[in-house]
Amino acid sequence: MRYLIFILALSIISLAPFFGQVPIELSNLTNNSTMDYKLFWDIRLPRVILAFFAGGILSLGGLIFQSLFKNPMSTPYTLGVASGSTLGVAFAIVFGFSSLLSLFGFLGALMTVIVLFTLTLKLKSYETNALLLVGIALAFFYNATLMILFYISDESQSFEIIRFTMGSVDVVGLEHTLPIVVASLALLLLSLSYKKALKLLLTSNEYAYLKGVEVKKVNTILLIAVSVAVGVCVSLTGPIGFVGLIIPHIVKTIQKKSAEQLMMPIFFYGGVFLVVSDLIARNLGTNTDIPIGIVTAFLGGPFFIYLIIKRK
Amino acid sequence: MLQIKNYSDKILKNISFELKPNQNLIILGENGAGKSTLAKVLCGITPSSCVKFEHQNLNAFSAKERTKLINYVPAKLSIFDEYITLNEYLNLSRLHSLLEAKNLLKILELEALKNKSCQSMSSGEQQLTMLASAILHNAKITIFDEPTANLDPQKSRDIYSLLKSNIFQSKIIITHDLNLAHKLAYDVMYIKNGYVDFLGSSKIFFEEGNLSDYFGTSVQKINNTIMVNL
Repeated sequence: MRYLIFILALSIISLAPFFGQVPIELSNLTNNSTMDYKLFWDIRLPRVILAFFAGGILSLGGLIFQSLFKNPMSTPYTLGVASGSTLGVAFAIVFGFSSLLSLFGFLGALMTVIVLFTLTLKLKSYETNALLLVGIALAFFYNATLMILFYISDESQSFEIIRFTMGSVDVVGLEHTLPIVVASLALLLLSLSYKKALKLLLTSNEYAYLKGVEVKKVNTILLIAVSVAVGVCVSLTGPIGFVGLIIPHIVKTIQKKSAEQLMMPIFFYGGVFLVVSDLIARNLGTNTDIPIGIVTAFLGGPFFIYLIIKRK
Repeated sequence: MLQIKNYSDKILKNISFELKPNQNLIILGENGAGKSTLAKVLCGITPSSCVKFEHQNLNAFSAKERTKLINYVPAKLSIFDEYITLNEYLNLSRLHSLLEAKNLLKILELEALKNKSCQSMSSGEQQLTMLASAILHNAKITIFDEPTANLDPQKSRDIYSLLKSNIFQSKIIITHDLNLAHKLAYDVMYIKNGYVDFLGSSKIFFEEGNLSDYFGTSVQKINNTIMVNL
């Protein structure tokens, strides 16, 4: 059964770039003078790659945050990284840096990471919950600042900000997917290298400490790594909510293994989930794509609730 | 070997003592007197510069070195991830013991629970699990926080025999179980309102006159067994 699902998922992501509102002639894919060639290599394929790796980062990030904070509701957005990124993008839109949206988005996320990191140094050893509260407070502060930007922006700028916050995996050109591919693979490898420490942390911080884990150091490294990867992700896709919360829970409920053994599957199925969501978003038959955030919530929400009810 | 000097915080007041090599210690005291607080200071969970191991500050040891020296078994098993099994938990605990987790499971008759999730075990099973984990960790000093709480008489007895055996190196045992304390016959420390009120041999502490000083009429010694008067 597990293999069947895996093979199905694999075929979905490999077939995904071939489907869209405009059908593609397979024989044109090697002929770079055709429209189909451009459509496939410059738009569809980069889009699928972006969706897959964004889903991977958000889901794995969710798993790691839930493990470190020992809180099943934590997601990479809990610490305000996404809000920081959104604020950066809104700033760029309002103050005329529209060509540098991704850069500003990333800087917003980075600024949040630096604030959080400075605060971690001030916190005592084991107060991850305090950090969580700081993150939530930070998110409120960012939202208030965002409101100011909305207030002083004109109509088209406001629309552009709103559209960004809905999330999208639009990208043109394979080379633009490079940052997210690098960020997500780096995060995956780093997390896998901390597998043992993470498993000890999944019991309790005290137990991990007694078994020789440098709790604060490991927490800080993983926290920063996830935040930076999410920063890269959000600056490209906008804040796509919900993925980081539901995918770890769904995979855990189905596979019934402790979190550190599920890093690969959660990364993979998180990616598949966003690819499928995007496939639906751009094939519903309307003239424009539906924002992907709407699809993830519509698709994931009911299934998530079903799983929670079924398991009790 | 393990030394704490002039330690004070919100609960504990001016605590000093030294645990010598091969010495075992029982810590007694009312609820809220500061016993578990002291345990967390001694094992480094609450960092302090007042704790030394063989004249070197405990926080100066590397994390790996420290695991060889000291381990703490809390009163309750706390595990966040609901899918961690007994077997996985014990394998995580195995640091300095030559014993294999699977052999220990056989000895403690826990084999049937091996693939059960730790969270879904009964409190007695969890208590045994933590003890097994401490055996596999095999630190020079192990601090037990109420090892016989939540146990049925049979299991209390099993745990008494484990504590009495020489499977652990040095032990510090926090307990309310006076009979256990009396039978183990280790040196006793009595903590009252954050102060060390008594530190001495088991023999002196469990003299009848002394018992009524510390516990009033609530405790009686009958046939060399300490009984709680209800």
